[in-house]
Amino acid sequence: MRQMLETHLRQAATVLLESAIRIAPPDTRDWGRAMRGEINHVEGPWAAIMWAIGGASVLAKHALASLFIPGRGGQGITPDAGLFAKSISLRKAALVTGGACVLAALLFFAAPPFRQAFRVALKPYQIASGNIQPGFEALAKRAEIRHDPEGLALCAVRLQSPRESARLAEEAVRLDPNLLWVYAVVGMRNPGLSEIGQWVEKLERWDPQNALFHLITAESIEQAHFRRGVWSPPTKEQERAWQSAMLGAFQSPRFDDYLNRVAELNRRVVPRYGFYDPFEVQSREQIDLPVSAFENSERFAKLRLHSGADLEARGDRKGGRDEYWTVARFGQLIDSQGRADFEHWAGTTLQAMAYRQLQASSQKGGNHAEAALFGYLAAKFDPVKGEHAGFPGESAFGLDTSRRNAAVVEISGLMILLFFGLVVVATSILIAGSRRGARPAARSAKPVATMVVLTSAVGLLFSSVTLYLTYRPYWYIFRTAVLNGGRSQTRDLGFFLNDTKTLPGVSPRVYLWLDSLLYSGSPTFLFYFWTGVTLLGLIGLVLILLRHFLGHPPSGGVQRSPRVP
Amino acid sequence: MKTPRISPETRLVLEKFVERPTDWRYGYELSRVTGLKSGTLYPILMRLENYTLLEARWVATEDGVPPRHTYRLTPNGLEYARTHLAEARPPFMVRQPAFCSG
Repeated sequence: MRQMLETHLRQAATVLLESAIRIAPPDTRDWGRAMRGEINHVEGPWAAIMWAIGGASVLAKHALASLFIPGRGGQGITPDAGLFAKSISLRKAALVTGGACVLAALLFFAAPPFRQAFRVALKPYQIASGNIQPGFEALAKRAEIRHDPEGLALCAVRLQSPRESARLAEEAVRLDPNLLWVYAVVGMRNPGLSEIGQWVEKLERWDPQNALFHLITAESIEQAHFRRGVWSPPTKEQERAWQSAMLGAFQSPRFDDYLNRVAELNRRVVPRYGFYDPFEVQSREQIDLPVSAFENSERFAKLRLHSGADLEARGDRKGGRDEYWTVARFGQLIDSQGRADFEHWAGTTLQAMAYRQLQASSQKGGNHAEAALFGYLAAKFDPVKGEHAGFPGESAFGLDTSRRNAAVVEISGLMILLFFGLVVVATSILIAGSRRGARPAARSAKPVATMVVLTSAVGLLFSSVTLYLTYRPYWYIFRTAVLNGGRSQTRDLGFFLNDTKTLPGVSPRVYLWLDSLLYSGSPTFLFYFWTGVTLLGLIGLVLILLRHFLGHPPSGGVQRSPRVP
Repeated sequence: MKTPRISPETRLVLEKFVERPTDWRYGYELSRVTGLKSGTLYPILMRLENYTLLEARWVATEDGVPPRHTYRLTPNGLEYARTHLAEARPPFMVRQPAFCSG
């Protein structure tokens, strides 16, 4: 049994060397055969394996060298490079190649898409500070110093803090009264603000037919029932005021969410401040029509539809159908004049509800042709099975592609950091080993350090190219969205950015669980976690280096083992 | 003219050749007496041969076993080795025990 194992190991050693001989340059093959000839005489099967590995590495180095310097004839030395300096020209070739790769990788940083891609790739490690809008906060400060109303308006629209948004909106409108519409966008997002009543009055005078202001008023009344996490039933006056506001919205001939103005503001302000952070700039969900507006509309629509059904039951068919049409027209208004995906979905949902009632009414009235038409429309606008169904899952690239691209970008960014770190460490070792009076351990580490420099530099370049090519389509989408207000494929960008907020392969649920376990929802957990991991890694690296450099006694102090090459 | 640099490992190999200058030596034998691994020893032998300081020949062995390469210094190589080995002793050959008081 033991003899069989020994035979197999020697065979494996022979196969390894013969494979290396095949890839070796022709004038080195004889040396490979010389090493193979010795295998049968090496004492012990494991020693034979080690012998073969050493020999194969020599041949592989020559094969690699012949790729870089084809005409060098496979020898490791040129006469004027130092006769017995070990593999000097090979080392130089490796270092030159490594340096070229590092330089090429660094040149990528000159390209704006690459810089943006690198920031995106490191996003999972940056959520930690607890401040999710540092860019907009900094931009607000700069805009205040410059007295720039547009800059202030954009920050008011985007910042999540209601009080800060209100303050910036007031300041923006004070500097430029034409920005009055900013009140509507901020008010829609923060209907609990005490300024709402005052703002709505001004807005109604400025744009009297817009349904949006009525929706803001209705939501503001709703918010009054929900204070400090406790819901209290509305009084009759409050309910009446809410119904009046919603009726105003349903009867309005216009709906403008002002998102086109926000896009225009984006187009002007973002380049002005060079603020190209896709996470903050592209967070459109912050400005879309909030869910609460749809809930109010749906609730009021149901009231109108019930009222219509009651009227029909009492014989007032015209009155009943008028109620249905009120809901259908409001749905059409939101669908046709809104800019956000959610608004289109809300509009079609209201239409489907109304057309279903109209279909039943026509059926009862014996008008089958009309019933069929309303049936078709109800099916068309059905939120589950209709043409507009699927919100918000549709995407041109596909969810899997977005997830895969996000993983590739994140891994590439991490690899860039890792390879760059390795290049720096290995270069430091090379410099330390090349100094006069360097420790023998540092000198002997030079070949390994050279290989680390070369492989890490190639890895750095490869990771940079991968990062650039994977992110480039998203950079175009972002530029188009910011500079031209284009919305095509912004959903893909949104999915992609959302996927880059978590580490590849780690479910967002894991983040939430870890976070809630240790810090009760505070995002600082990630910061401490990754800082701890990084510090442990660094301490480990320092310990390894210390052991490597200090663990060997100086050459003049004690006898050096001749086995160390 | 630039002075050729000799690594401690090369010096060690030259020393072993100089000890028995006329003998043909096998690669594995050299590895054992110098303590150098194949990945270090063979590049040295290759460079020595490239500069005609070393000669090599194949030696036939029993049937079914591959021939072996053997080496010895050329007259030039012997002169070169003796000259350079006499110039300076390598640092690791200076045997000075650590923590020795006297």
